[in-house]
Amino acid sequence: MANLPLYPFAAIVGQDTLKLALILNIIDPTIGGVLIRGEKGTAKSTAVRGIADILPMMEVVENCPFQMPDRNTCSVCGNGTDSLCSGAAPTAAVPARKTRKISVVELPLGATEDRLVGTLNIEHALKTGEKKFEPGILAQAHRGILYVDEVNLLDDHLVDVLLDSAAMGLNIVEREGVSFAHPARFTLVGTMNPEEGELRPQLLDRFGLCVNIEGIRDAQARVEIMERRLQFDKDPRKFSDDWSAESARISRQIQSAQIRCGKVTAETSILEQIATACLKLGVDGHRADIATLKTARALAAYQGRTQVRPEDVAVAAELALPHRVRRTPFDAVATEVTAEIRRVVSVDRLRQ
Amino acid sequence: MTDCRPSPQLYPFSAIVGQDWMKLGLILNAVDPGVGGLLIRGEKGTAKSTAVRALASVLPELDVAAGCPYSCDPSDDLEICGSCRGATVATRTRRVRVVDLPLNATEEMVVGGLDFSASIHEGIRVFQPGLLARANRGILYIDEVNLLSDHLVDVILDVSASGENVVQREGISHRHPARFILVGTMNPEEGELRPQLLDRFGLCVAVRGEENVASRAEVLRRRDEFDRDPNAFRLRFEPEDRALAEKISRARERLPEVRFPRDLDGLIAQVCVDANVAGHRADIVISHAAAALAAFEGHREVSRRDVLRVAALALRHRSRQRALAHDPTVETSAYQSIPQRSEPRHHPDEYPEESPIRVPVREATGEEIEVSPTARLIPRTDYPEAIFEIGPTFAVREIGHRRDKLFRQASGKRTRTPTNHKKGRYVRSTARRLNDDVALDATIRAAAPHQLTRQRENGLMVAIRDEDIREKLRETQTGNFLLFIVDASGSMGAKGRMVASKGAIMSLLKDAYQKRDRVAMVSFRKQEAVVNLPPTSSIHRATELLKELPVGGKTPLAAGLRKGQGVVRNVLLKDPACRPILIIITDGKANESIGNGDPFWEALSAAKGLASDSRIKSIVVDVEEQGGFRYNFSARLAKILRAEYFRIKDLRADVLVEIVRKGV
Repeated sequence: MANLPLYPFAAIVGQDTLKLALILNIIDPTIGGVLIRGEKGTAKSTAVRGIADILPMMEVVENCPFQMPDRNTCSVCGNGTDSLCSGAAPTAAVPARKTRKISVVELPLGATEDRLVGTLNIEHALKTGEKKFEPGILAQAHRGILYVDEVNLLDDHLVDVLLDSAAMGLNIVEREGVSFAHPARFTLVGTMNPEEGELRPQLLDRFGLCVNIEGIRDAQARVEIMERRLQFDKDPRKFSDDWSAESARISRQIQSAQIRCGKVTAETSILEQIATACLKLGVDGHRADIATLKTARALAAYQGRTQVRPEDVAVAAELALPHRVRRTPFDAVATEVTAEIRRVVSVDRLRQ
Repeated sequence: MTDCRPSPQLYPFSAIVGQDWMKLGLILNAVDPGVGGLLIRGEKGTAKSTAVRALASVLPELDVAAGCPYSCDPSDDLEICGSCRGATVATRTRRVRVVDLPLNATEEMVVGGLDFSASIHEGIRVFQPGLLARANRGILYIDEVNLLSDHLVDVILDVSASGENVVQREGISHRHPARFILVGTMNPEEGELRPQLLDRFGLCVAVRGEENVASRAEVLRRRDEFDRDPNAFRLRFEPEDRALAEKISRARERLPEVRFPRDLDGLIAQVCVDANVAGHRADIVISHAAAALAAFEGHREVSRRDVLRVAALALRHRSRQRALAHDPTVETSAYQSIPQRSEPRHHPDEYPEESPIRVPVREATGEEIEVSPTARLIPRTDYPEAIFEIGPTFAVREIGHRRDKLFRQASGKRTRTPTNHKKGRYVRSTARRLNDDVALDATIRAAAPHQLTRQRENGLMVAIRDEDIREKLRETQTGNFLLFIVDASGSMGAKGRMVASKGAIMSLLKDAYQKRDRVAMVSFRKQEAVVNLPPTSSIHRATELLKELPVGGKTPLAAGLRKGQGVVRNVLLKDPACRPILIIITDGKANESIGNGDPFWEALSAAKGLASDSRIKSIVVDVEEQGGFRYNFSARLAKILRAEYFRIKDLRADVLVEIVRKGV
């Protein structure tokens, strides 16, 4: 495969909320992903694909199809004997490890269920008469980013399966003669054009954050977009090189935020601010509260602080709540909701 | 089986804030598995799954025969599998298992099937135990149980009723004990469960998020602590978990000695009759659960209070109207009156009284919409033009085509249909050759027992012959295409007809969402008919449009039908296998013609055109009021269309039930 560079994340003009949402998710992958809603041609997919540029590194066992950090976490390589794992399962006591970038795995709309969850390895079965598990896309996506373009058009039964494993962080396969489970914790990133139909609320709720984006209205910025795009199309490699310093800067900033994030504290008043906002807005369940707190914390870390401030919560709420405000399955994620969130959160701030 | 499952990072059971009814339901099942399982209904993100998974760590340990795939109890001579019977087996103690049934499961993995690798090597058919075997004496947990394929639901029902799994497939005949606590979680927004399966769950609780700031903040704090350092967090709650485990364990020992006073039988029967439940399972469940509750609280005798407390859990899903109405809007609390009627509660603050019977506000929106036909009137000379509000919504009765053998290419849930596109859920395999969708796993299983006698080539271990080939039987539930043809003429504005019609359409749209249908809408008024909404799966857009649909002018019924026919024709051209359903909502008083003829005759001839296509199913919803003088135009239209004819009130699922019951 020709390794053509992707349009660099750093070179995207505007769309700051989108960029922030993606960056916060890299800082704390447990935030739970981003849903990007917007019209056609607003750099939705470009931003997600380009994110590979700024992703930090992670350690993995070499050839491990499940992207395990070390062999002890996996009982397959651990005892090596009756391996269902399709990895090379090296026999050396010390596993070979390597460092690589966190990967962005794309789930195509036409994917079949067995490709998604994994299935019986037929070749192995025919050759040896043994059962072996053939990992699917969920295995590839573990510890990485699972990207679904046009997520609202995904087949219904695939959505169910996706929800199932996203909820547990575990992919349990009980099909076609194989019974297998492996961890599948991934950051779910979806893009959609709301004109084509809405997402089911259950799936909406699985996305940690939600961003509504629009085309840029500012003429100057639009010219800038065109110019950069032309430059990129003319010589992608050179364009990428030109932006590599900026990419590296963002990447470093993310990495230091990652380290800081674990130390960021949130006072009780912050927790109460979040709980109050969520109650006032009438969100379903508690996932919204948790996502807001995590986002606020990642934001504080990204800005070099070790304490969450009320204004972090205000920003976080705008990202974490719009798709969760309680409504019937057929109300759209209304844009007015954002204003409502802003009002509720700022009222709280005034009171303090 | 070896896999990459990480050591579970379970959230401690005692650390779950609130949700007392859910915890109680789980605990009662833990004390006495005879209670018969638990169904947890509720909105997203309310610790449903967390609690179920955490339950395993507070359950007492279990004596099992070492190496037995069915976890037989060595001391029990009756409930024992074939291989353990008569043999001396070592005993091992382990925790109760929570076995997950994932939505992707295929049938043979659930019930068990042929173990092909063993069969290849030994030349005989070897049984490979499935999920039901693993769940024996444990908990079978189905997350999102309402999304599971109907076929699997049937299988599980069967086994859970008999306590034994009988396998007759792929040349294997095998039976083994399969007694498990069935725990399911579901979000009712995504569609209801069939009443039959509902009844199979002993208890049912409804959960929702915490509603005061302090406990919400506490939920947040604990979850955050857990995420940051799971081990330290678990250590903190370990004493509490252990105390609870001991309490459950003591309750189990005490249970056989708990006395059940005779006079409580009458109370239970009364409570069940009041709630209008079907069958006797509720009575049995209540007596088991009440005893379990008494044992758990350290009493030697079941009290009235015990019975009344568990009655709420056992009756919620069984009350007849409720089970059949598959819309949560009608889920009022029929048994709400029971505790007040029979006896005041002794400890009103011990359990949150209301929580299992509260209907979330969101679910009740339908009831809150006011019926006011006088909205935004714009005066006009002939007919007033107006936009009416949406009337009250309700659960709709089943409408749809029968299940058939045609192959379709849509996804959705209304009509169950096999698909010929290699899409959809692979449910089982078949020896019939339909297309080239080979089920390799089933093929290998079919070939496996013959391998010792077959000539193998190319270094392969498995020789496959033509007769071994099995194909995948996939099932998607196709959504239908619903076309609403709505009369928006001035006469519809009279006597609240449009309000009621909008309510009916809204109800049908809700139903369409749960069944993943595609919808389109045509309305006719004044001189013409317009396509308000081209075919879309965005129910949201349909709702918006419905809100804004104005009323006024004459009734060009023929134009409406012609336009509808055009829309349907295009849909059928794109997808010939599609079976559209036309829903015509009108009072039938056509008074505007397309040509020069009589408006009503024109409408009838347009209707004949529609009726000639057998692929189209039509439904006429008559909005003309009952009583007094009626034109019955709609009924005549329905006859010509060969359509089903309903008045708005007949569309209700609960009304239909009433009619059926009276008929019997």
